[in-house]
Amino acid sequence: MRRRTLMTGFAVGAAAVLAVAPPLAPEAKAAKDSVVIAWQVDPQTWDPNKRTVPVRQSLYKMVYDQLITQAPDIKLEASLATKWSQSADGKTVTLDIRDNAYWHDGTKVTSADVKYTFLERGKAGHKIDLVRIWRNVADIETPTPTRAVIKLSKPMATAIPWLAFLANFVVPKHHVEKVGADGFADKPMGSGPYKVVDYQRNSRIVLEAFDKYWGPKPKIRKVTVLIMKDPSARVAAVQSGRVDFAPDVPIREVARLDKMSALSGRIFPISRVILLQIRSDKAFADKNVRLAAHHAINKKAISQALYAGKAVPLSIVAPPGTPGYVADFEFPYDPAKSKALLAKSGFSTDKPLKIGMASFNGNFPGDYDIARAIVSMWKKVGIEAKLQVIEYSKYFELNRGNKLPEATLYSWDNAVGDPEMFTGYLMHPKLPFSAWKDMDVGGRVMKLFGVVDYDKRIAGYKKVAVYAASQGAVMPLLQSVTTWVHKSDLGVVQYNNGWVLPHTWSWK
Amino acid sequence: MSGEILGIVLRRIAVAIPLMLLVSILVFIVLRLIPADPVAMSMPPNATNEDIEALRREMGLHLPVMHQYAIWLGHILEGDLGRSIAFGQPVFKLIGQSLPATIELAAFGALFATAIGLPGGILLFRLRGRPSEQAVDVGSTLMMSIPEFLWALFLILVFGVAFNLLPFAGRLPPDMTIPKVTGFLLLDCLLTGDFTAFLEAIRHMLLPALALALGTVPLIMRLLRSSLLDVIGEDYVTMARLRGVPERRVVNRHALRNALLPTLSLMGVQFGFLFGGTLLVEVIYSYPGLGNLMVEAVRNTDLPIIQGAALVFALAVLTINLAVDVVYIVVNPKLRRAR
Repeated sequence: MRRRTLMTGFAVGAAAVLAVAPPLAPEAKAAKDSVVIAWQVDPQTWDPNKRTVPVRQSLYKMVYDQLITQAPDIKLEASLATKWSQSADGKTVTLDIRDNAYWHDGTKVTSADVKYTFLERGKAGHKIDLVRIWRNVADIETPTPTRAVIKLSKPMATAIPWLAFLANFVVPKHHVEKVGADGFADKPMGSGPYKVVDYQRNSRIVLEAFDKYWGPKPKIRKVTVLIMKDPSARVAAVQSGRVDFAPDVPIREVARLDKMSALSGRIFPISRVILLQIRSDKAFADKNVRLAAHHAINKKAISQALYAGKAVPLSIVAPPGTPGYVADFEFPYDPAKSKALLAKSGFSTDKPLKIGMASFNGNFPGDYDIARAIVSMWKKVGIEAKLQVIEYSKYFELNRGNKLPEATLYSWDNAVGDPEMFTGYLMHPKLPFSAWKDMDVGGRVMKLFGVVDYDKRIAGYKKVAVYAASQGAVMPLLQSVTTWVHKSDLGVVQYNNGWVLPHTWSWK
Repeated sequence: MSGEILGIVLRRIAVAIPLMLLVSILVFIVLRLIPADPVAMSMPPNATNEDIEALRREMGLHLPVMHQYAIWLGHILEGDLGRSIAFGQPVFKLIGQSLPATIELAAFGALFATAIGLPGGILLFRLRGRPSEQAVDVGSTLMMSIPEFLWALFLILVFGVAFNLLPFAGRLPPDMTIPKVTGFLLLDCLLTGDFTAFLEAIRHMLLPALALALGTVPLIMRLLRSSLLDVIGEDYVTMARLRGVPERRVVNRHALRNALLPTLSLMGVQFGFLFGGTLLVEVIYSYPGLGNLMVEAVRNTDLPIIQGAALVFALAVLTINLAVDVVYIVVNPKLRRAR
């Protein structure tokens, strides 16, 4: 046989063997104490105080602890802090820190770490979002290793929920000081249920259970997180059995995969709202027009068409199960009323009102489809909306320059469900996330930022949320959903804020 | 010959410097013209307008564009590409960590494209005039018209799901870890003596490299066929036939050598594009390379990374073209003096 033929034969043979041979190492878990997760984003940084991106919080919660955490029904519960209280003037928060929590190097978590996280990191010049969140911290007293007293220069009504919210993870003072802020972003050390044993940016994270974790010992001892940003790849991975759990799977795929005996699919609402942000001027300065636009939207139909009917239609910017939800208020779908309101302002299908509308395309599931459905519904009553697709980053630039169109489709995450983080931040005319600048509604919202008494604050937000919707200052659309597909024999705990926490899971 | 090659390299470098400068100006200015605010992207929900303005100033975004460019260029000359907004880390470090995976993948893609394209071109040439030529021609047109990311998904569905033969996420199985030595995984596997990991790394690379290569293969095939058709009527080929050299040998030994030259030029250009094609392929296959980093940066309007990665991509294309020029000279001695 000639040499060339031999070499060609060898090359073809080798390729065939590589392709057909079973994996040399198992692709997914073999033992019942490990899972492989297909996750949709990279953590970008392991410094959990750095950014407030909601979708990354689950990854941080696997490694770090917050002072306060949340139960599956999103009610606040103890974590590193076993007790907490806030003074009547809203300027002092007292926290009892548990004495059985350890960092992954075995040293104890103390109140000094709390002080370092919430005060000293900012003073040391670390560029972290946490500094902006807690900009009014004047001092943190640490009378004992298990007590921290946060002193604020101004009342912060939502100090307690913020401790359970985005980026509020306690970090180890000794470790961060030793490796520096940049080093910490690469060499994470927390006190959470898992420690990081391997991390390849944009590819995978390997976590191992931490034996000295203060909470219940995780039954899942090893977690491999594959960063799979493409939804089709996640679907393929879970369908082929290469991963055990995949979140953020397209709705239609969940239904298909759920029919397979080895897989379970879930679509469930979370504490995230989809809304139309409204300008208080231009064509929407007319209240009739705003209300007409809102009455013309068939939210139930949108939910059925795009979210398998699982997305709950909303009348105010607070979903069911959150403290600010108002069960007995409904803003009805009523096209006849919409037409009548438009007629009062001189508009009809023959003489339509012309407005602009902005939407993202791919920022959250179904966003552009919702926008197109609304444009179509509006057209039927006499509103002609010119739809423009914008990038998420462009939204801020347009809002900052007061250049957003009359309506903008938006999605807002609020894992803790506090109404200040919904109506407060979205309707406060001086904050960058609000498109509504009118002071009638805005002034009512601003007053609530100073109310510390919980019951009064919640009652106030319920009232203002209903008022805002009744005035057409905002058009709440749906409570958003999240989707999961996982192996049927994997017991997964569902959190109503969408958290994915494998230390609460077990194999059946 | 080495003197002539050195001359080419020096001439290419002389051209590359102003070219890179031009690329840097274009990238920088175009990015600043986009009405997007990278600062507000990284703000907490309770941020104030004052917070946003303070960060804009901190990042120098309030300065005139040319002033910003001058500062950026000054930093580049000092070896500093700036800090990523989203990752909060030096861009140079992030690119340095990602680049080896992309180089490995692109090199494998190029290898696949060559390994399939060249025999494919010869096959196409041999089939000329036969009915099967049309079928292969249609097949190659189809291959060419499908973009890399669709190939990536298609290959996953066929080899990853339907037949469940090959992995399609990351570079190694979930329970396998290799200590980083050089960042080039295959090399690191060999350096650490882990042959099983080496084979697994190749298995993990098969589908993404194939997805990258398949778009380039038809171009190589077609140009090679066309070049072979051009040279097959030349006198030296006829002479070879008259000497009684078998047809297979005539093609492989005599015609192919000259027909390869234009194909080589095309391959140089295509391999540059192939490097760019890693963007979506890396995202789909969870490959921790520069393309994946770039896509992440674009999603986050992370201007420092986009700028840095664009420069690296441009540099890669220039380097590949330079390498092709050198190979061109080595393969074709006639061109040495002509240059």
